[in-house]
Amino acid sequence: MASDAAMLRAENVTKAFGGVRAVDDVSLAVREGTIHALIGPNGAGKTTFFNAISGFTLPDRGRVTFRGADLTRAPNWKRIAAGMGRTFQTPSIFPELTVDENVRLGVRAHAKQAFRLRTPGGEAKRAVDARVGELLGFVNLTAQRDRPLAELAHGSQRLCEIAMSLSTDPVLVLLDEPMAGLAEAETERIMTVIRDLRARLGLTVLFVEHNMRVVLNVAEKITVLDRGKLLAEGTPAEISANQAVREAYLGSEVIARV
Amino acid sequence: MSARGELIGAAIVIAVLLFAPFLSPLIHLDVSIVSEVLVMAVAAMSVNLLLGYTGLPAFGNAAYFGLGAYGAALSVKYFQVDFVAAVVIGTLAAFAGALILGPFLLRRRGIYFGLLSIAFGQVFYFIAYRYTDVTGGEDGMNFPRPPVALAHVQVKETAFYYVALAVFVAALIAFRAVVRSPFGRTLVAIRQNEVRVRYLGLNSDRFIFVALLIASAMAGISGALFGLLINFAYPLQLDWHQSGDFVLMMILGGGGTLWGPLLGSFIYVLGKDIVSTITPLWQIFIGGLFVACVLGFPRGILGTIEQRLRRAPGTFTADDVNAAFDPNAPVEVGRGV
Repeated sequence: MASDAAMLRAENVTKAFGGVRAVDDVSLAVREGTIHALIGPNGAGKTTFFNAISGFTLPDRGRVTFRGADLTRAPNWKRIAAGMGRTFQTPSIFPELTVDENVRLGVRAHAKQAFRLRTPGGEAKRAVDARVGELLGFVNLTAQRDRPLAELAHGSQRLCEIAMSLSTDPVLVLLDEPMAGLAEAETERIMTVIRDLRARLGLTVLFVEHNMRVVLNVAEKITVLDRGKLLAEGTPAEISANQAVREAYLGSEVIARV
Repeated sequence: MSARGELIGAAIVIAVLLFAPFLSPLIHLDVSIVSEVLVMAVAAMSVNLLLGYTGLPAFGNAAYFGLGAYGAALSVKYFQVDFVAAVVIGTLAAFAGALILGPFLLRRRGIYFGLLSIAFGQVFYFIAYRYTDVTGGEDGMNFPRPPVALAHVQVKETAFYYVALAVFVAALIAFRAVVRSPFGRTLVAIRQNEVRVRYLGLNSDRFIFVALLIASAMAGISGALFGLLINFAYPLQLDWHQSGDFVLMMILGGGGTLWGPLLGSFIYVLGKDIVSTITPLWQIFIGGLFVACVLGFPRGILGTIEQRLRRAPGTFTADDVNAAFDPNAPVEVGRGV
């Protein structure tokens, strides 16, 4: 690991769609143990950058290293095995399976049981059961564990997705707009969970978010993208004081409210 | 359905099947037709594993079915193997086919997977059609049903029926074990959301490849038995129409259910047999049945009943058909095993 303890490092990442450079030469380092936010106006390239990091799409140029290993061209499932977890803007879940089974699939995958033709019993089963219970407890969905996930509210689906992304024991969690489409009360719940990811589980978090109140309250470091380029980087205080960021994105009104 | 209900239902169906050779003459039904129901049910089950459970448009399973039939036919005709060896060789031929085609099929999802499956099937069809010296071409090839070598017995129609029943029951038990295992649950997860499966750290291609191999073996054993049942192998067994019939059987009975393929095969094979004695336009009947089924039983007959009896998360729905055709396959999917 590098001396500055950067867990994830993206260097000069570029990704174009047709003639549009959605992400243009962006570099970013996420330090171990921080909650790092990625913000920017619509179309700034946040999700594209996020996708390049998590292997959903591959960058045209640039390098992605994670815990010292070059993962630039690695398939997405290998990045998970290497210790990343991710959620999506629209929760990526198994809607017809129960909450329990949604989480169990990931726990089994991590325990290398997913390929088995027989459900392991005994100690192996107890370990999986315990881990599923622990994860459901963490996101507070134990009471709903036997319901099909499609029946649950949007916020609960998102919490379940977070539990799924934790089921593979990641060290870095990537959250893509965790507050999108949520009511105020649900937002509070997810904010608590994001803080707990670090405080209780000791994880590193990188998240894309639109809601500035959430970003300034939760993040310790903020990276701002605008039109595919890196605009600014700093602490919440630095970012909210940054004139370029205000002009490009925040607007004085938003800052005043915060 | 409770575990007990399922067991009782299964016991009743198996009991009826055990006595079918004695019951079928009562309704003027040839026992070989009932054999065909069981044999075709195994092929429909192979489609069920790929389409009903995993959500892959398996529109080329006749390739494996036909490889099974030709594998049995060629080995009997040119190497005079016995009954058991013919079935084994047919199954292995289909398995080998999937082993070769699988890596190519894996590279695509949705409608393109379906089209590739059809295209590969047609390749085998044309080989059988053109390679007249060996396969008899369009006329197909007759071959005698060989005896079981170890027991020195000929396999007469009733005996054949019990062979088909044994294979069907074995396939059913194996199928049930597979779909209930962690592996099978991962297949259902792939049907619902392959991207998430990959973001759980699993290489979904590997799962699909193994599912394809299992399905090809099932279709192959079915094809080998069908060839031995009618003592005949012909190019249309490899054709995409035949693939379509298997899909139809699965949809009629209920995709994503254990017994759906048997029910679908029963309706299809018997319906065809009965209606074709009345009119050569029996396909109109099948078409009408299919339309009625899609409108009245969108999850197939058993799937819809199961849904009424309880909420059945994880069964195949009309939405899955749409999903199976989704060409917006995740970008990083399909990079090989």
